[in-house]
Amino acid sequence: MKRLPAVLLLCLFSSPLYSAAPDPQTLIQKAMNHWRGLSSYSEMTMTIHRPDWQRSMSMRSWTKGDKTSLVRVIKPRKDAGNGTLTKDNNMWTFAPKVNRIIKVPSSMMSQSWMGSDFSNKDISKSTDILDQYQHKLLQTREQDGHTIYVIESIPHEDAAVVWGKEIITIRDDYVMLEHQFRDQDDLPVKTMKARQIKQLGGRTVASVIRMAKVDAVEEWTEISIQDIQFDRDNPDSLFTLSSLRNPRQ
Amino acid sequence: MNITLRMAWRNLWRHKRRTWLTVGAMIFSNLLLVFMISLQFGSYRMMIDNTLKPYTGHLQIQHKAYNDDPKIRNSFAGIVPLAASLRRQLNTRKIAARGVAFAMTSSKTRSWGLQLIGVEPEFEPLVSNLPGLLKQGCYFSASDAAEIIIGTVLARNLGVTIGDELTLLGGGRDGSFAAGIVKVTGIFESGNNTIDRNMAQLPLAYFQSLFTMQTHGHNIAIVAQDLTRVSALQQRVNKLIANRPELVVLDWNHLQPGLKQAIQADLTSAWFMYGVLIILVAFSVLNTQLMSVLERTREFGIMLALGIKPARLGSLILTETFIMSFLGLALGTALGAAIAFYLSVAGFSYPGMEEMAGKFNIPERIYPSLSLLSIFIGPGIVFICSLLAAIYPAGRLFFLHPVSAMRAV
Repeated sequence: MKRLPAVLLLCLFSSPLYSAAPDPQTLIQKAMNHWRGLSSYSEMTMTIHRPDWQRSMSMRSWTKGDKTSLVRVIKPRKDAGNGTLTKDNNMWTFAPKVNRIIKVPSSMMSQSWMGSDFSNKDISKSTDILDQYQHKLLQTREQDGHTIYVIESIPHEDAAVVWGKEIITIRDDYVMLEHQFRDQDDLPVKTMKARQIKQLGGRTVASVIRMAKVDAVEEWTEISIQDIQFDRDNPDSLFTLSSLRNPRQ
Repeated sequence: MNITLRMAWRNLWRHKRRTWLTVGAMIFSNLLLVFMISLQFGSYRMMIDNTLKPYTGHLQIQHKAYNDDPKIRNSFAGIVPLAASLRRQLNTRKIAARGVAFAMTSSKTRSWGLQLIGVEPEFEPLVSNLPGLLKQGCYFSASDAAEIIIGTVLARNLGVTIGDELTLLGGGRDGSFAAGIVKVTGIFESGNNTIDRNMAQLPLAYFQSLFTMQTHGHNIAIVAQDLTRVSALQQRVNKLIANRPELVVLDWNHLQPGLKQAIQADLTSAWFMYGVLIILVAFSVLNTQLMSVLERTREFGIMLALGIKPARLGSLILTETFIMSFLGLALGTALGAAIAFYLSVAGFSYPGMEEMAGKFNIPERIYPSLSLLSIFIGPGIVFICSLLAAIYPAGRLFFLHPVSAMRAV
């Protein structure tokens, strides 16, 4: 499930930036590339928190390149086997209860993904931020020995995006610290924050990421990554509808 | 008959034609007012009925957070037994429990997001008209059957007909995945595009198991005998659920706030036009009475000289106006009510109605609604304004000097 947070979590390893005013587009690009690697495998837990209840799901995720990913629920038993396949901005979901694969229609893309605070779009359209937005470096500051870049990304007029503006905070080692989504009136709607950063799979990554609604403090979804491996050899056959239906891994 | 009344009556018929013209103006305006207001009330009633019938009902019992925040978690437990006990205590069958959820609905080829309503097959047809609008197929066979009825537009969008299977995919009340396969047993056509495209009904028991609702549901819809009894019924229901503090009873005005506002906006603009009509009638009365006072200046001068008090003359003028207005009121109202009554039975339609009807969700024929209020409110105001218009001519008499009045031309 690495693709899911991909939009939001960009992180990278080493190789700090040298130039004084880096190009914001390149910053985001590098953050995303390094978060994803050429391919990856990860194990994670997603916790959905609401004022009166909370539940957790364990998931596995595989990615390849920019546009291909597979996520499968492992626990709890009741939900095990549910999965999502994303390929070139198309999304399919599989439900073992009814043994059907369903293509998620574009009208449902802004709906919640697996009941979380992430939308289907957050999960599937992670590279939109690169080709459908105009970026501007707002601020550069020093903190804990790192240089921090704050980037403002405004979608192009014709971009199919519900947000008016996004504010992305990236550390000089390409860890994405914060990603804020603002509406057309420039009011913050939801914010994704890295809550823990550590070495995983040989890279410094945000290992706990929380997506929270701004106007409802008690509503958030947290993804905590237990294990991640980069540049694995994920075969193409993994990212097919039949593999979504019949897990072989 | 006292002397003032007799004099007023005779004075009026000294100028038959003028009196009839003035009375005629009143009859015409009263007739128009009765007809228009009845028509308006009738179309409002239909607008309300047609908006509330497909789903809303007159009253709904909900979890107190549900109306502002319609989430699947804002439900309440034991909905079916509660509905059953309300039916018993209120001695009516027009009460039905429901659950509401959103889900992705897929046929073999297409998927759409959809609002799903879990209903009690036995009682839902008594509170809403969707079950009665089935164009094809039939209603549910049992409360736990894996069956669904959908609208015509959705059926076309999904490319399904009776007997086909749909896959539902959504989130349950506990956050788990809800997935099920249901058979399309019926296709309804309400004429309301939004409902025909976005709404579907399932049997409640099946709905509850699909969305892990246990005994929970989201609303109990109640339909009163008619609109005027809604608030009394609301108070009774409120007392009956007083032991469940998490619940509220909301009337249709809370559930469909746009409806009353649309009616009020329409009413306000209509009253502006009625106001113009009424003012015109009042001025025509003023004109008539002022003329009749001025042309009788010498006559009034003589009467004053004979010792009649100005107040007596003033009341004579007012009595004349009263008789005229009363004639206008009686004839206008009778004619207007007769026409409105005929149309309230036969129905009424005019060219271009279909489009407006579709827009405001009313049928293509409207039936004026006759009530004491709709009949008398317009003519009553005309009557009062006519009397007010006579005050100025009558008041002039108080400033008449007998000697100069007798010599006036």
